[in-house]
Amino acid sequence: MERKIERYCVPGTVEEAVEAIAGKDATLFAGGTDLMVQTRSGKRPFTPLLVNISRIAGLGGISTDGDRVRLGALATISGIRTSALLKEKAGVLTEAADSFAGDQVRNKATVGGNICNASPAGDMIVPLLLLDAEVELASTAGRRMLPLCNFFTGPGKTRRERNELLTAIYFPIPPVGFAAGFRKFGTRPAMDISIVSVGVAATRDDAGWKNVRAAFGAVAPTPIRGTRTEAAIEKGGTAGEIARIAESEVSPISDVRASAWYRKELIRTLTERLHHDVFET
Amino acid sequence: MTGLIGKRVPKLDAPKKTTGETRYLQDIELPGMLHGKILRSDRVHARIVRIDTDEAKALPGVHAVITAKDTPGVPLGHGKDNTPLKGDKVRCIRDEIAAVAAESEEIAEEALRLIRVEYEDLPAIFSPADALKEGAPVIHGKHPDNIPFRFDYAHGDVDAGKEESDIVIEDTFTLHFVTHCCMGVSGVIADFDSSGNLTLHSLTQIPFLFKKDISPVIGVPPGKIRVIQPVIGGGFGSKLDIYPFEPICVFLARAAKRPVRIVFTREEEFVASPTRQPVELTLASGVKKDGTLTFRDVRTLHDNGGYTSWGATTPFVIMQTISSLYRVPHCRYHTTVVYTNNPYSGSFRGYGNLQATFAVESHMDRLAEAVGMDPLAFRLHNAQEPGETTLQGMNFDTCGLRECLETASAKSGFLEKRRAYRSKQAGPVRRGIGIASLLHVGGGAKIYRTDGCGTILKLDDFGHATVMTGSTDIGQGSETVIAQFVAEELGIPISAINVVNNDSEITPWDVGVHASRTTFIAGNSALRAAKKAKDKLLAAAAKKADLSADGLDLRDGHVVDAATGKPIVELGKLIRSLHFTQRSDIVMTTEYYEPPSVMQDREFKGNVSASYAFGTQVVELEVDTETGIVRILKVTAAHDVGRVINQLGIEGQVEGGVVMGIGYATTEHLVVEEGVVKNPSFRDYKLVTAPETPEIDSTFIETIDPEGPAGAKGIGEAPAICISAAIVNAIHNATGVRFTELPLTPERVLRRLKEERE
Repeated sequence: MERKIERYCVPGTVEEAVEAIAGKDATLFAGGTDLMVQTRSGKRPFTPLLVNISRIAGLGGISTDGDRVRLGALATISGIRTSALLKEKAGVLTEAADSFAGDQVRNKATVGGNICNASPAGDMIVPLLLLDAEVELASTAGRRMLPLCNFFTGPGKTRRERNELLTAIYFPIPPVGFAAGFRKFGTRPAMDISIVSVGVAATRDDAGWKNVRAAFGAVAPTPIRGTRTEAAIEKGGTAGEIARIAESEVSPISDVRASAWYRKELIRTLTERLHHDVFET
Repeated sequence: MTGLIGKRVPKLDAPKKTTGETRYLQDIELPGMLHGKILRSDRVHARIVRIDTDEAKALPGVHAVITAKDTPGVPLGHGKDNTPLKGDKVRCIRDEIAAVAAESEEIAEEALRLIRVEYEDLPAIFSPADALKEGAPVIHGKHPDNIPFRFDYAHGDVDAGKEESDIVIEDTFTLHFVTHCCMGVSGVIADFDSSGNLTLHSLTQIPFLFKKDISPVIGVPPGKIRVIQPVIGGGFGSKLDIYPFEPICVFLARAAKRPVRIVFTREEEFVASPTRQPVELTLASGVKKDGTLTFRDVRTLHDNGGYTSWGATTPFVIMQTISSLYRVPHCRYHTTVVYTNNPYSGSFRGYGNLQATFAVESHMDRLAEAVGMDPLAFRLHNAQEPGETTLQGMNFDTCGLRECLETASAKSGFLEKRRAYRSKQAGPVRRGIGIASLLHVGGGAKIYRTDGCGTILKLDDFGHATVMTGSTDIGQGSETVIAQFVAEELGIPISAINVVNNDSEITPWDVGVHASRTTFIAGNSALRAAKKAKDKLLAAAAKKADLSADGLDLRDGHVVDAATGKPIVELGKLIRSLHFTQRSDIVMTTEYYEPPSVMQDREFKGNVSASYAFGTQVVELEVDTETGIVRILKVTAAHDVGRVINQLGIEGQVEGGVVMGIGYATTEHLVVEEGVVKNPSFRDYKLVTAPETPEIDSTFIETIDPEGPAGAKGIGEAPAICISAAIVNAIHNATGVRFTELPLTPERVLRRLKEERE
């Protein structure tokens, strides 16, 4: 448990951080809102090297970078929730952040942590999938970009290598005519792990909705894109048809929070409602 | 009179709790104190073949490792069917196998991991019905039929009642596991001195019975046990029995020759503290065409779990509601309590009444519909009047049931809204409104030969009062109410009162915190002790001033002329003048208040409480028929409380009870699968949080109970009792579908609604 930590390291720069974790099995600490719970419960023991990345200069921040938006890995959920930039350019992130846990957790939890924790129910992941986000990974070998939709490999598992640090998330500034929505379902408005979550987005032009994105949380081993749902929306199917396609392309499990049957029911209902709210009004 | 009764008096403990100054059990560090941890079974029913503790004992920092063979093995708990540590077999998931005392919690946990236990699994039982089957595994050899208790009650003649009925309905109601979720987890510190005196820093709700109950288990005479209660972070009934961790802590302290503290983790609290008892209740009810109830016939099956704590005795309360909530001419009640390998249940706010009222008040709506009456008129037609004695022998000297029904319906617009919501509603989200009432003891409950509480009242020579009361404050606000009574009687400010309620060496005997009894019983005791002190002070003042005591009163810290309010002597000065004389005296009084109730006879009949509480709650809600989620919009509550003592406190009691009841009905569920608790965390055990809490409009019906202190009745449990029935009645109003099983999770609601649609 805690006693097994042999070395604690607080890098001040990304370079120092990637140097510190090179060739090691490090535990990375940012906001700690998932990590501390998981280590205490024994679900994920600390490794001998604990690296606190929360003081790395420039690893936070929410800004535009040319035609892209950059979310620093350390941007907190509160920061996202209150960002005027995001509210204007990508309100779906504001919406998701608003249904994310409670204030104490939102103040500490980081977007990079939410992504690297790779929960199938991760609340920031679904809206970032809608925005075609990419993640930036740094190591001593340099930096590389990976599309977020290819980043996850299973519950708690990602394509981040042990010697890599997730440094930022980028997504193109959505064009004029962009619309998106996000819903999570639980018995509470926030402070709840999503039983399912659904997001849809698209850009309107004269001919109709283009670049449609649909994504689902907590219905597969990772948050997923719903490509058949996207195609159906683009073709202009009815909300009911689209919802049935969405239901057919998810493969949820039954657990203590809900049965697979109920998750499919919710995907259908929420997709239909979201389609109505985002594309029909 | 200082006019404190009925005012909004902030709880005396609130400033310390809100600023973090309060010291809980977790904050107490005794010199040399060790940390105890318990190894629990991960099997639900198994023979223990071998326990190897050698490695654990060898771990540096470990001072004691104990198993059953190191202890006397005297059984404990209400049923005396549970030993602190298990030597032969385990019967449920939480069972205690071994315990460790070490220099830190981490070392103690590490030591637990080094203990090897070899089990031989036994066939297990997870439902009461299976426990009753021919050839079912036997859980306790003493009860080869797996039935530790049966309860039978009857009045009238149910067969005749059936004959008289124009309509008879029957349903089976299924109630689930929930648990208390006290913010302060369970724990204890055991500390021996060199003379063998034992001090227990305990969170018990029953300090005096606790001494008696734990004494034979640990082999320490009760006279050598001192119980000190640190501030208790919630009880709700969970601390009404003794549990294995308490004697285990004593055994560890004895073995280690050091003070030992055991504090549960939150997960342990979910797995190893008691639950509310799951019940399957089949109710048949009858009614005449004119709306008069004819009979109730009830059979219940109780899942006792692996051992017997107070949960087994909830039929005492269940039968009161079955027999006496509204006039029931004929009644029959049978309960079978059955051992299973599930977690075992204890007492929990409402004590069976949530289960009983869910069934009875669901049927009241169904019967009203069957005879074509509105639910309010039907209930009023069958409601008792003040002065009635029920057929179980309860004397309703005061009874505000009618006023509760009328007030809650009028304030919520119940009848109009109910009509409006019954007509077809557009869209997937439907509104509904539902009503339900309750009956609960409000003047203690005489389940022992005494239901009394002692008070010692001491006035110091500056006119400050110390009230030593046997009653415990578990967060419900009794300290404040007791101080109000004494301040009011002695005409001194509440800031001049100190309530001592947490040390068995100082405070006089009390039964404990249960049965909504503290304001009524401990309040009466404190009030009478204060009256005695007042009489003494007035007599002394009268003698000194050569006046008649009848013409004097205590106000604003002075003896005054009762008629004019003119001060005669300052209180402190009067007391000092009693001290500093040749024939000196102090002002100290004692009282033991015994309520005029009786123990039930062998047929469970008799006036078991000195007063009875009534209430009606109306719930307005929304059902999303496509997701199944139920949103409670508003609760309108009217409670017969006798008299309000602390307006702020009683609003808090009602609001807290309503929220707890909503949790029971809709979100809270301790998921137990094959004996294993699947959701031992606040992440997956869903308490109702602030955003889902509806507007709560509380009205207090003051019937001024002649026996109650200043007219008050007990109200602690009542607010949680009837809301689940009001919720299912409202869902029926919204959707036409009736639920008989809790909790009403979105998934359960959607599944049923879809079944009904298909």
